[in-house]
Amino acid sequence: MKALLTPDLLRRLEQFQLLAKRRAKSSLRGERRSQSRGQSVEFADYRNYVAGDDLRYVDWNLYGRLDRFFLKLYEEERELPVTVFLDASESMGFGEPQKFDFARQVTAAIGYVALCGFDRVSVCLFPGLAGRPFSLKTGESSGGQEPSRESILARGALRSVRGRKSSMRFLENLARLAPGGKADFNESLKRGALEAPHAGVAVVLSDFLDVGGYESGLKALVSRGFQVSAVQILAPEELNPQAYGDLRLVDSETGLAQEVTFGRHRMEAYSRVVRQYVQRLREYCSGRGIHFFQCSSDCALEDLLLSQLREAEVWG
Amino acid sequence: MAFVFAATIPVVVVFYLLKRRRTTRIVPSTLLWQRFLAETQASSPFQRLRHNWLLVLQVLLLLLAVMALARPYFGGELSSGRLQVVILDASASMRATDGKPTRFESAKVEALKLVAGLRDRDQMVVVQAGGFTEVRQSPTSLKSALRRAIEACSPSDAPTRLADALKLAETLTKDAPAAEIHLLSDGAAADLGEFDNKGLRIIYHRMGERGNNAAIVSMDVRGHPDDPTKRMVFATVANFSSNAVQTVLELRLEGTVLEARSLSLEARGSSPQVFTAQQGALEAIFTARLDLADDLLVDNEASVVSQLPRPVRALLVTPGNGFLEKALRSNPHVRLEVAPSLGVGKLDADVVVLDGVAPTVWPEVSMLAFRSARPGWFTNAIEAEVGGIVDWKPTHPLLRSVGLENIQIAKALVVKAPSWALNVVDAAQTPLVLAGEFQRHKVIWVGFDVYQSTWPLRVSFPIFIANALEWLSSGAAGGASTTMRTGDPLRLAVLEGLSAFEVTLPDQSKRSIKLEPGSRDILFGDTGRAGVYKVQAGALSARFALNISDPAESDIWPRDELRLGKHAGVGTTTLKRADLEAWRWIAAMGLGVLLWEWWYYHRRSV
Repeated sequence: MKALLTPDLLRRLEQFQLLAKRRAKSSLRGERRSQSRGQSVEFADYRNYVAGDDLRYVDWNLYGRLDRFFLKLYEEERELPVTVFLDASESMGFGEPQKFDFARQVTAAIGYVALCGFDRVSVCLFPGLAGRPFSLKTGESSGGQEPSRESILARGALRSVRGRKSSMRFLENLARLAPGGKADFNESLKRGALEAPHAGVAVVLSDFLDVGGYESGLKALVSRGFQVSAVQILAPEELNPQAYGDLRLVDSETGLAQEVTFGRHRMEAYSRVVRQYVQRLREYCSGRGIHFFQCSSDCALEDLLLSQLREAEVWG
Repeated sequence: MAFVFAATIPVVVVFYLLKRRRTTRIVPSTLLWQRFLAETQASSPFQRLRHNWLLVLQVLLLLLAVMALARPYFGGELSSGRLQVVILDASASMRATDGKPTRFESAKVEALKLVAGLRDRDQMVVVQAGGFTEVRQSPTSLKSALRRAIEACSPSDAPTRLADALKLAETLTKDAPAAEIHLLSDGAAADLGEFDNKGLRIIYHRMGERGNNAAIVSMDVRGHPDDPTKRMVFATVANFSSNAVQTVLELRLEGTVLEARSLSLEARGSSPQVFTAQQGALEAIFTARLDLADDLLVDNEASVVSQLPRPVRALLVTPGNGFLEKALRSNPHVRLEVAPSLGVGKLDADVVVLDGVAPTVWPEVSMLAFRSARPGWFTNAIEAEVGGIVDWKPTHPLLRSVGLENIQIAKALVVKAPSWALNVVDAAQTPLVLAGEFQRHKVIWVGFDVYQSTWPLRVSFPIFIANALEWLSSGAAGGASTTMRTGDPLRLAVLEGLSAFEVTLPDQSKRSIKLEPGSRDILFGDTGRAGVYKVQAGALSARFALNISDPAESDIWPRDELRLGKHAGVGTTTLKRADLEAWRWIAAMGLGVLLWEWWYYHRRSV
């Protein structure tokens, strides 16, 4: 099993922390400031003493000055839920290197940063297992339609991870995943938004090439109160196709065929279509306060993680 | 001889008949290729143009008109346009009828005025803030798109989340220093304290005139302490207007009036009411209704789904434990069966209590396990001596009225809490009681043998067992009441293999929704309207009553000032004067004159 992230990169990632614009709303304690009052060292406010309050929290200095009892309130620190929506459809298994491998590395980095900051990480893979034909078989991971038993267990283990100690297990489980099946981008994100008990940081990793579009899925996440970042990963051959001549292109997910005659002289027109598609997605995201990043699966991972995400203040 | 060359004609025809041989390639997605083809496929209509000076002149004029409409510009130094964010409050209080005809409609008219006052380079965003925040139109200068977006907005019965909308507006205006946020609201929102204004220019347009409203602000059903067949219905009626109100409060059971009470409510006062009613069916809906024509009608009615207590079937699997059996039998709502081991086959119990036994097949029901651990829960569980209890969560439902002082424990399993469980009671080096949900079933795990402790001798032990059964059976033992607020998603666990379900909305319209294969729970999020929702999933059917139940929403007095965060406030603002450009109308008139000229020329030439 090849390591997803190099030890040097892991060491550099440890210095980061996810930046949340909104205060943490989870019900579990963590390291983030929240609206709730509770136990920590961060002083928040005073309130009047009423009978039955814990005398340990009475501010005796204030009592000495004003001859009245006041209680000191502290900010309760809560954890920040981080949800990664990882596209594991058939189309992500293309490219050299694979788009899915790149997406997995980004997931690993985000998860590692969050786990180091004592935040809860959930990885929602789509399509879910329900959408794929499978049987429980022991054995090696298959790249085809049937996910292995290992992959199924890894998916389950990635639903909710917390604590720095779990980070190595998290990376191992990520490495066991394999792409396959047909995904419904919008439905998966809508369901994820409804199922999440608390909104927090959401990162969507996909190629955003779904026939149903991407608008309603992203809208559902923003409406639910998530702070969303979207990373579009395209394969080098999607950006610069190398196949010329009379082609019959078959969609890996839907199986639909498209007949195309393509030559070097039409490359500029194709590139323009790709640019327009990405630009429309970028505008849609910026109109809704979503951070948007676009990269090719062969681009340098460090550039995205250490420079782009940092400049956009996703982490710092 | 020349006719021999005629033989080449079929060859040419064959060339046309031959299909191109194409290389098949599998690509990740054909989406980009489809767009590429749509972009490059052009139709070329060939038409011979005759020379006509009139045509040339008209085309020239038209070109000039189109150029004027296309708003050509020269590069130069000009300040960039302003960004305006219009937030339309779409909460229940905006349905109050003291506007024209409602507050929300007045807000839409006000928003359309803002669109009309937009300058050429200005951009506007339309945000609707109801139960959840929705961007109805992303930044644009296109007035038609903005008008369409505003016309399409509609109010819901959900409470406002104005703070979320303001936070979104803050994000949208991050890079626009001269941005304005227009908040069209009545200010009836409880969450404004969450938002700290950091120098944003918020202009608050107050909607509404008065606050004549009375509402049912809370409703609940409990069991009668003396008679288990009777139910006690609690309803709190509040009057938010500045005058005393005389009204009648009706209580209905499945639409039949049970009781009607005359109420006299003081100005800004509230009155808690308790009804006692006989409930025949296991599940029934109680509805309370205020007979009053005030400004907001939707909060004059509230419903609650009431379920009678049903006995919990518990199976105790133990080699023999008198303390545990006695504690379980002391609960009158529990039908207990005791077995030395768990048999294979269909299990007829709601809750299984395992006392130190490890079954070969683990039951797929809720479980209270003493020292029994399913494979995969823990790694390396070792029995060791533990001191005593050092910490517990007194707010957890399992520990309601349970004191754990002075309890001695000799030995316990030392484990690490798995991710699905929450530590409820802890010793110094191990959790002693864990609770959580494992594979969709609730599980309580106790890490020590009760015989190895002084706990069974304390009064807290039977109370803990009673709490545990109540928690594991999801409140069935005490009789549940389901009260939900508008905007909450409906959740229901169903059997695997179901492909679709149907939801009947409060207005009796039906919505059929397909379920992903293998899904075992239903989620329905479109719950913006108050009332009773009915979910039909195969043979399973469930009803949910969603009410506004929010005093902040029912207090519809329009606020003159909004308190944001701890200190900041925003007062009401009137519209400012602006110069509205009219060049579009003049250009359109020019086009009209051109068309008239064309028609006039043709009439003369005929």
